[in-house]
Amino acid sequence: MRKVGIAGVGHTKFGRAEIPLVDVLALAALEALDDAGVKTGKGNVDQVFVASMGAGILNRQSSVASALVDTLDLQPAMAETIENGPASGASAVKLGYMAIASGMCDVALVVGGELMRVVTGWEATDFVATMLHPDAEYAYGLTLPAFAGMFTRLYMDKYGVTEKDLAMVAVKNHEHAMHNPVAHIQLVPNFHAIIEDEDAHVINPYVAEPLRVYDVCPVSDGAAALVLCAMDLVDRFPKKPVRIAGIGQATDTHVVAEREIPTDLLAVRLAAERAYAMAGLKPEDIDVAELHDAFTILEIAISEEAGLFPRGEGHLAARRGDTRVGGKLPINTSGGLKAKGHPLGATGVSQIVEIVRQLRGEANGRQVEGAKHGLAVNFGGFGNNVVATILSKEG
Amino acid sequence: MEPRMYAYRCTACGKLFHPARAVCRRCGGREFEAVPLEGEGTLLTYTRVYALPEGYMKPWLGFGIVEFPNGLRVSGHMNTEDLTVGMKVRATVGVVKEGVGRDYYGFIFEKAG
Repeated sequence: MRKVGIAGVGHTKFGRAEIPLVDVLALAALEALDDAGVKTGKGNVDQVFVASMGAGILNRQSSVASALVDTLDLQPAMAETIENGPASGASAVKLGYMAIASGMCDVALVVGGELMRVVTGWEATDFVATMLHPDAEYAYGLTLPAFAGMFTRLYMDKYGVTEKDLAMVAVKNHEHAMHNPVAHIQLVPNFHAIIEDEDAHVINPYVAEPLRVYDVCPVSDGAAALVLCAMDLVDRFPKKPVRIAGIGQATDTHVVAEREIPTDLLAVRLAAERAYAMAGLKPEDIDVAELHDAFTILEIAISEEAGLFPRGEGHLAARRGDTRVGGKLPINTSGGLKAKGHPLGATGVSQIVEIVRQLRGEANGRQVEGAKHGLAVNFGGFGNNVVATILSKEG
Repeated sequence: MEPRMYAYRCTACGKLFHPARAVCRRCGGREFEAVPLEGEGTLLTYTRVYALPEGYMKPWLGFGIVEFPNGLRVSGHMNTEDLTVGMKVRATVGVVKEGVGRDYYGFIFEKAG
């Protein structure tokens, strides 16, 4: 198989887009193409992969990849739209990787994007819940926050995680986002005010007990893009490509109640193990990680399942400050889903954009010095379809 | 007819599932028979959700995951406010969502005894 790298990255400001979905995708794509020095027009991009979970349901538009190829003038490039829930982004990167590794093509454009703020919060919550089991979960009004709340209670009882630990993760990620100009939320909540003050329940009320507003990611619009290339063509590009060293993916039971050990995120563990094996790396080799913190508890749980900290000790690492920039293993330097935002289809691509910026040394105020290997974990369903990606700096 | 909830027993190996599925996880069997799933169970975890999806007119709803004595675990609504992990609950069946022209029935758990 050919080695595959990332030659260019692009990322819109997450938040509220006010323009059509394909235009948002195009903004990120053009930034990535420019960054890679790849021109539009016939024959420069061989394949286009577009990740979106909600284009059909939220924006009433299907086949967005075909529309994107046209507006970018990339015909007759091959193109398809990828839907794999909130893990659509990393799935699209995986498919782009395969297209090049197989020898089928040389240059692929991968774009993930979502326009979610066109509907109310209730409709958005309902839309995201459509990935749950239709009869045993969705029909009950169960949602992702509901499952995250029930998971958090189990995690607290088993491992001693507290609401303060979760608030620390939230504040840390908001602090990171202050150094990331594309992050949706550009303010840092006051730790005392959201968790310790007697009025904390007023400004930080429960969403799904024991999770509060500041444990949950915002609803965001936005897009992120990558130009993937064969590493044997590295001389074509102005910036030295960052190599995709390993990709792992795994699935788990669709119905959350059927999990054998309800506090385990088995698909995270298996996806990460597969990615480490492919990369020939160990968790100790990882210098920086973007983990799918749609809920603060998930940053902690994923950090353990991915082997970055011992089981049941992820919250202790957060307490020690290990996971902040400047700590032993910075997590979610971009601000994470919590503060950067979570436009579903964009997220998996956005995580990889951040790792590329870290490995290139382009992360400015949130830079992890000397980072060589980075891990991204993109989490679909309530953990039933997870993609882990490891990037390595060459040379 | 009174709505009931069912488990699905693999006709080849006898393993029970809820909800219904195409292939038995234990033996690969593809045929199942429906058997009523009811009675008392143990509450494993719960939450109270304040941000409900579209279609609910209530300020909040309680949800839980319950384990039946036969080992099956299911999600359902909690029809009691006084919840603790490990408490005994009793399964009832009722409307869990009102749809357009159709109601959806599911587990609604109450405090046992």
